[in-house]
Amino acid sequence: MTVKKISLAISTASILAIVGFFSPAYSASKNLTVVLSEEPDIVDPCEATRSNVGRIVKQNVSETLVEIDPKDGSIKARLATGWKQTDNLTWHFDIRKGVKFHDGEDLNAKSVVKSIKRALNPKYDCEIRTKFFGNMSVSASAIGSHTVAIKTKKPQPIMPALMGTMTIVSPNTQEAKGVRNPQGTGPYVFGTWTPGQSVSLKRFAGYWGDKPVVENVKYVFRKESAVRAAMVKTGEADIAPNIAVQDATDSKMDFSYFNSETARLRIDMSRKPLDDIRVRKAMNLAVDLDALRGTIFAKGVVKQTQIVVPSINGHNPRLKPWPYNLKEAKKLVAAAKADGVDVGKEIVMIGRLGIYPNSTEAMEAMHAMLTEAGFNLKIKMMETAGWLNFLSRPYAEDRGPTLVQGQHDNNNGDAVFSMYNKYACKGAQSTTCDSKVEAGIKAATVATGDKRRDTWQEVQRRLHQDIVPDVQMFHMVGFSRVNPRINFTPSISTNSELQVSQVKFN
Amino acid sequence: MKKYLSKRILSSLLAVTGLFIMVFFLARLTGDPGHLYLPIDAPLEVRKEFSEKHGFNDPIYIQFGRFVSDLANGNFGDSLRKQRPAIDVVLEAIPVTLSLAAVAMSIALFGAILIGSLAAYKPNGVFDRVSRVVSLTAASAPDFWVAITAILIFSVSLRWLPTSGIGGFPYWIMPIGILVIRPLGLLVQVVRGSMITALSSDFIKTARAKGVKEKAVIFKHGLRNGLLPVITVAGDQAAAIANGAVIVETIFGWPGIGKLMIDSILQRDFAVVQASILITAIVILSINIIIDIAYAVLDPRIRHK
Repeated sequence: MTVKKISLAISTASILAIVGFFSPAYSASKNLTVVLSEEPDIVDPCEATRSNVGRIVKQNVSETLVEIDPKDGSIKARLATGWKQTDNLTWHFDIRKGVKFHDGEDLNAKSVVKSIKRALNPKYDCEIRTKFFGNMSVSASAIGSHTVAIKTKKPQPIMPALMGTMTIVSPNTQEAKGVRNPQGTGPYVFGTWTPGQSVSLKRFAGYWGDKPVVENVKYVFRKESAVRAAMVKTGEADIAPNIAVQDATDSKMDFSYFNSETARLRIDMSRKPLDDIRVRKAMNLAVDLDALRGTIFAKGVVKQTQIVVPSINGHNPRLKPWPYNLKEAKKLVAAAKADGVDVGKEIVMIGRLGIYPNSTEAMEAMHAMLTEAGFNLKIKMMETAGWLNFLSRPYAEDRGPTLVQGQHDNNNGDAVFSMYNKYACKGAQSTTCDSKVEAGIKAATVATGDKRRDTWQEVQRRLHQDIVPDVQMFHMVGFSRVNPRINFTPSISTNSELQVSQVKFN
Repeated sequence: MKKYLSKRILSSLLAVTGLFIMVFFLARLTGDPGHLYLPIDAPLEVRKEFSEKHGFNDPIYIQFGRFVSDLANGNFGDSLRKQRPAIDVVLEAIPVTLSLAAVAMSIALFGAILIGSLAAYKPNGVFDRVSRVVSLTAASAPDFWVAITAILIFSVSLRWLPTSGIGGFPYWIMPIGILVIRPLGLLVQVVRGSMITALSSDFIKTARAKGVKEKAVIFKHGLRNGLLPVITVAGDQAAAIANGAVIVETIFGWPGIGKLMIDSILQRDFAVVQASILITAIVILSINIIIDIAYAVLDPRIRHK
């Protein structure tokens, strides 16, 4: 009996010791743990436009010449203190003086030029180049010690906004993409990367700007949203920048924010019966967006009237969302049918698994609504690779009519980053070719100031009212969970970056 | 025995080679992965340039020739995603999965032998009935749901265990627990059935008649004869876990081969897909050879054949 009692006591003590070994509590330290949904494959700053890279590297390790204010899309100084257009093909940027890279090198015009040339080198497929500079011919040169001239073959009035994507790295950085220990000028030095587990950053004592409060940052990776939310709840992590709507159940910790994504169904206007505007208008009238909001989509989503969100230059605030009007939708379908349009032809709805939370349910709901209006539809949910074959050129010549589920993100300050690809005759994802839209895109791209804004707004109006290339859905919201010891409010830019220097402690 | 093992290893190598070639062609039938590695808005010319640079536009027989030539030099190619050698990426991941698999299967096997043997000792007794229900439930339990529920109970509500991640002993409890449940449930059923058959044999009656202690009757005479089917099923389960405890790795953030393979397939990272399939095939074939050896150790009749 004594032996049994002792054994029981030992077992109990052992269990308590083991579980006591792990007794998470909210830490009082000045360190921060951020839990992301995906580990970056690469931490090279020239890939910082990818959100899983940008959230670690952008403005933390490597800074850009300018920064776009998420509130209104205006451009603020960062590593460049000033900029001016000297002729219609050239911009000059003044580089901040007294700034050092983490490896001790000076930030100057030469190091900026080297960084730009590296990012734009076609040998290396840096995402900054492929996403924003594509076919643009750009050359950079140093004028004096702290002035950089950026010259293009065609006018680029938004060059300052483009420089908001250009992360600057030390001149000692290897030429080829794939650097595993990036050296920038940011408030944090890249620490260690334990593949599959974590990335750490450490506060840079020699930072040129205000000293951030957070001393060390650790990024961990959990694919499952419920686990990320649980980690913040238990104190194992401080911020989960992106959790699913169904896990955002704690009003004290959870924040919703516009994440600059716009959801739509892209109508393939080049295929019958979708080439008939009555059909496209009917589709917009048949989808009850209010029924989807607060059920399949988060309550905070906003009905969209155009592909760009309100903070983007070129957004037209005068456009009204499509009302839900099934009767009118049926009338339009009937009218088209009476004129010989084959409205009964099968239309395939191409969805992408996981493109946003409840993406499959959203397609099923819209399928039901459109069927009620008189259309004949079939849903095909696909993984990304298959979906891309339908979304982007080259399109299969023998394809039938499709509605492609899509989501577009633009928080780079100007509509130019959206319009050409989505609506120009040769746009990578465009199925529309309207001469007025084409002329408007061309004119707005080279215009400046109010003329630029007004031209974009007219293009939005024409698309929304006269062309109707999409079933317009929502400007989306994202959800973040933030530990109560942290003072941090997510914004539209949280989708692509998380500036640790903006994090404070309560 | 040596001759048998040599034949086994040779036939296994042939199987791996065939698998490898098949995976090469099947993976490339999914098309050009270029558009997965470039932004959605990348111009067509940029995508063409990417495909040309990586040889995705070349005829498949040219790609195969290049692949075979690289392989002859010990080069599996570089991961398109991670920009480093694919074999390095895979060799980092496999120990995580193997350690999960080894611990989980050890616990499942020993637990199943104990529980199944005791259940078989008194068929339809209380212990047998309870263990049958519990093991059937365990064998049917969906990993994903159990894992999330366990996190909510033990981490969020009770605060006893960490939610996820790799670390000391507490970090192993839930992942191993989840991995053990299904094979344990299945193996208990197999052990029970096999032991009931063994314990009703004539040699067991003889042993009892000779006055052998019950413990020796069950665990020495009965178990040894009842283990062969158990080893087969256990090997199958071990191969399934070694193939990638994907759900556990994904939920608990363990960077194992299962998650790596799934991500690589979705991203068409061909080099990593091939390297991970090769390494996994070698592991599974090794498990099969170990099972064959175990048969020979357990059953002298097989050994002398």
